[in-house]
Amino acid sequence: MEPSQGGGASDRDLMARLAAGDREALAPLMERHYPRLYRIALSYLRNPDDALDTVQETFVKAFQNANRWDGSVEAGPWLSRVAINQSIDRWRRIRRRQATFTPLAPGDHEAALADGALDPDARVHGRELRDRLATALGRLPERQRAVVILRHYQEMTLEEIADALGMKLGTVKSSLHRALGRLRTGLQRGLES
Amino acid sequence: MILAHLLLRRRVALLAAGVLDGRERDEMRAHVDSCSRCRREYDELRAVVGALEADPLRSAEPEIPVSVLIDRVEQRLDRVATSRPKRAHGWRVALPAAAAAVLAFVLLGTELLPRRGPEPVAPTPVPAAALPSEVLDRLERNLAREQAARYLSEAQDVLLAVSATEADCLREEDRLDVGEAPDRSRQLLARRALLVEGRPEAVASAQAVLDDVELALREVADLPSCVRRRDVERLRQDIDRRQLHMRIRLMTRELEG
Repeated sequence: MEPSQGGGASDRDLMARLAAGDREALAPLMERHYPRLYRIALSYLRNPDDALDTVQETFVKAFQNANRWDGSVEAGPWLSRVAINQSIDRWRRIRRRQATFTPLAPGDHEAALADGALDPDARVHGRELRDRLATALGRLPERQRAVVILRHYQEMTLEEIADALGMKLGTVKSSLHRALGRLRTGLQRGLES
Repeated sequence: MILAHLLLRRRVALLAAGVLDGRERDEMRAHVDSCSRCRREYDELRAVVGALEADPLRSAEPEIPVSVLIDRVEQRLDRVATSRPKRAHGWRVALPAAAAAVLAFVLLGTELLPRRGPEPVAPTPVPAAALPSEVLDRLERNLAREQAARYLSEAQDVLLAVSATEADCLREEDRLDVGEAPDRSRQLLARRALLVEGRPEAVASAQAVLDDVELALREVADLPSCVRRRDVERLRQDIDRRQLHMRIRLMTRELEG
């Protein structure tokens, strides 16, 4: 599979080809959606390796389940749905492993994140913020966390979030409300300590 | 008045999250401007939203190029393709299809094949009768084991959710929020009864784990949604003492084959 194949085709065309079992259609879709799906998984899991594995699994699932795509949603939101559900599944497996073998440490994964080309002050500030957010987000129930990620990291509408997570609109609203309240408590606690 | 503010809190949070539109947004803005308590709530939640939006991960770029990911996905799909015949749902489709084909051959064959002489060719009723029941028996057994594996996996999620919770519901009383775990436990316990009624011999090896999981779920089912921290600790220690998570993992793998 070559990265450049399928260049000018629309997402819909590519999804239709994927649904028909054409693996060549996967590469152009990956080129278009990889960074965005990576950010969904990374925001949720807070670990680059886990995020990459999750994106890989997202595209595998996308290929395997493409025949379920009925065209009522665009390919982008459909892939986001697969990515966030894969992230939740992976988070459960990580938590299960941690609960079995080691104590939970929500901020540990953060050490694995590189700060790239940021200047030293920005790097320190960015790391502190990330640490506090990681701890606070890690304490949220998994669905509330997903709602926050899709809303505030992906800027999805409440209706899109409800669709992606298979939740009712009212439940998404309450989840967002509760999650923000819990994050406030968590971030304040982080500042105090 | 207090009740009214409690009802308004959700809308204040939604305003801070930037998801209200049109008239609803304008009304809430006007209210927040005229109500000091709501204003404070709004400002605090806006600070949370600001922190989320300043998270450097929002603009993170993948560390490996797309070409490498494409290769990895390609290899993964190849592996899946070669291992597919071993998958349980493959059998679920293939076995009834094979049984139907044999049955059709036997039935149609006896009717349509030319008969040689006065002695009719003896049909083969034994495989026709025996194969479907054998297949059905095997399918039922596999299904019972799959259901038990799924039950154990979901039970583990509930137990982990309770064990790992750090969310305060009443901070001053040191109480923790266990959310929907008690409800989920009750639903799972209802399913547990069905597992026993179905094919108990198919899940006989899982009996000890199922019994211990049932005990733990009963404890969770009796909890309120806002629990004293020491009760959660006690439950966590009990689960650890029984090595429940590890045993569930091993048994789930065994049941899934």
